[in-house]
Amino acid sequence: MRKSVLCILLAAVLGLFCCVSPAFAINEGYGRLMDEAGLLTAEEKSELSRTLDEISERQGMDVVIVTVYSLYGQSAMRFADDYFDYNGYGQGADRSGVLLLHSPGDREWWITTRGYGITAFTDAGLDYIGEQITGYLADGDNAAAYGRFAELCDEFITQAKNGSPYDYGTLPRDPLPLWTIPLAVAIGLIAAFLIVGAMKAKLKTVRFKAEANSYIRKGSFAVTQSRDTFLYRHVMRTPRPRNTGGGGSRTHVGSSGARHGGRGGRY
Amino acid sequence: MSELREFKCPSCGGAIVFDAGLQKMKCPFCGTEFDVDTLRDYDEDLKNDSGDSMQWDAKPGSEWQESEAEGFKVYVCRSCGGEIVGDENTAASSCPFCGNPVIMTDNLSGMLRPDYVIPFKLDKNAAKEGLKKYLSGKRLLPQVFKDENHIDEIKGIYVPFWLFDTDADASARYRATRVRAWSTMDYNFTETSFYSVYRGGKMGFERVPVDGSSKMADDIMESIEPYDFSAAVDFQTAYLAGYLADKYDVDAEQSIVRANERIKRSAEEMLASTVSGYSTVTPESSSVRFSGGSAKYALYPVWLLNTEWEGKRYTFAMNGQTGKFVGDLPVDKRAALKWTVGLTALCSALAYGGMWLLWLLGVL
Repeated sequence: MRKSVLCILLAAVLGLFCCVSPAFAINEGYGRLMDEAGLLTAEEKSELSRTLDEISERQGMDVVIVTVYSLYGQSAMRFADDYFDYNGYGQGADRSGVLLLHSPGDREWWITTRGYGITAFTDAGLDYIGEQITGYLADGDNAAAYGRFAELCDEFITQAKNGSPYDYGTLPRDPLPLWTIPLAVAIGLIAAFLIVGAMKAKLKTVRFKAEANSYIRKGSFAVTQSRDTFLYRHVMRTPRPRNTGGGGSRTHVGSSGARHGGRGGRY
Repeated sequence: MSELREFKCPSCGGAIVFDAGLQKMKCPFCGTEFDVDTLRDYDEDLKNDSGDSMQWDAKPGSEWQESEAEGFKVYVCRSCGGEIVGDENTAASSCPFCGNPVIMTDNLSGMLRPDYVIPFKLDKNAAKEGLKKYLSGKRLLPQVFKDENHIDEIKGIYVPFWLFDTDADASARYRATRVRAWSTMDYNFTETSFYSVYRGGKMGFERVPVDGSSKMADDIMESIEPYDFSAAVDFQTAYLAGYLADKYDVDAEQSIVRANERIKRSAEEMLASTVSGYSTVTPESSSVRFSGGSAKYALYPVWLLNTEWEGKRYTFAMNGQTGKFVGDLPVDKRAALKWTVGLTALCSALAYGGMWLLWLLGVL
């Protein structure tokens, strides 16, 4: 009897654990938008928070944005990993999530990923997101940068769930840029001038003949002296461009012992 | 002990010194190293540079025999000063150069008897056909120009040419480079080797023609070249029957200048064609020496049509032997503009379509 009670209790505890374990709750006092550097207006904050919560809940993966005034000498990667790990971000057993850390004081950003986030955000994907937001950050348009980040995260997670995360060669692409139109016109103009030039050239057939090659007596040409002297040589050395990796995500282990993917940059 | 000479660096021009440690010559300015033998050879090449020498013994043509000259009439154009010769049965009424009326003078003076003549091989009908063919298929030629042409006035005329024979000895020096590239794990290497290339050669030139009439534009005459001299015959007055002949007014001495230019260029081209296996070849100096030069006087057949259109004169000429037809034509500016605009639109559209295609393929 006691044994069976113990069994039931154990099962209940285990069951409880199983039920609870996916819901690693975000620590008290922390949200998915932590504007510690105070870069956003109240209105922007509430709107962005709503967006992040909506995406996170729908996708089952935390999408977090953190701003800090300074990293105080820590590396952005460390800071972001620890912020994610110690403040309870991430959903599910593997604590899936993605976090954008932005430090305007250092003019630096870092995106860290964990769990399914590592799969969904490949290094190439993170570089792409970085490229997309750096422009806004450099212009000081932080709200737009964060908005774009949230939008891209949503897109990337959806893409990953459909079976193939964005990676080298499969990244989302801008439509054909507008500068191709003047370029096409320029090419057209040059081609037209060449063709019309050729038509005009047909009208001009009178030219001086600079040489007298047709009057060389057949078989009279003979080389009497021929000398090729090697003088010196110059060798130029240029570093080879590094081979970019084959795609996927490189990971490292943070101070909490959790595995993270990530990518960052300065602007 | 070998003689002490000062060498100049082929790379930068600085004075080179012997580096005892390397046992080589080394330029203190650019750091390039050389073998002593290399520099000696190079110096040798530099010394071979010499000037051109273009000697001619030009006394072409011969005197007319009394009876021969009698059968000719000389016509003078009051408008352009052109002098033409025709046999007594050829009635020339208008100047082949400017189209104005000509008057007949009596004596044939101040003209040498030609050594050779290449007789007309193509007749007037062939010349007319040649012009028609020449005017067709040219989209930017004003239509009126085709219609207004007084094609009948095309005239056969023997043009005086000086023919120069010479043997040429040429030498040239080049700076050449050979480029080799290879890579290791971390670096790409490009090695450029510099060479001094020296070539000497000889060749003979036969009957390089220079037009001896100032009325005939030299560029037009050079454009209808070449003539096949194997068809030339010793001059006989009979060949002039029915045709006009132009009197030379530029003598052989003056014409040599042009022949020299062309022969020198040919000699240089021939030598340059023997320099191969290099990535770049830059000529540094060349010289040509002529020997055994001689000149002959010949008449070459040309079909000529002068026409005026909108105040400008257009001259067409056809090689009376080979049928080669030349002549600059006016451009229909409106047609040119239309074609430019249309082609720009078409090519732009094609280019834009191409870019879309590249974008779809993931290249752009």
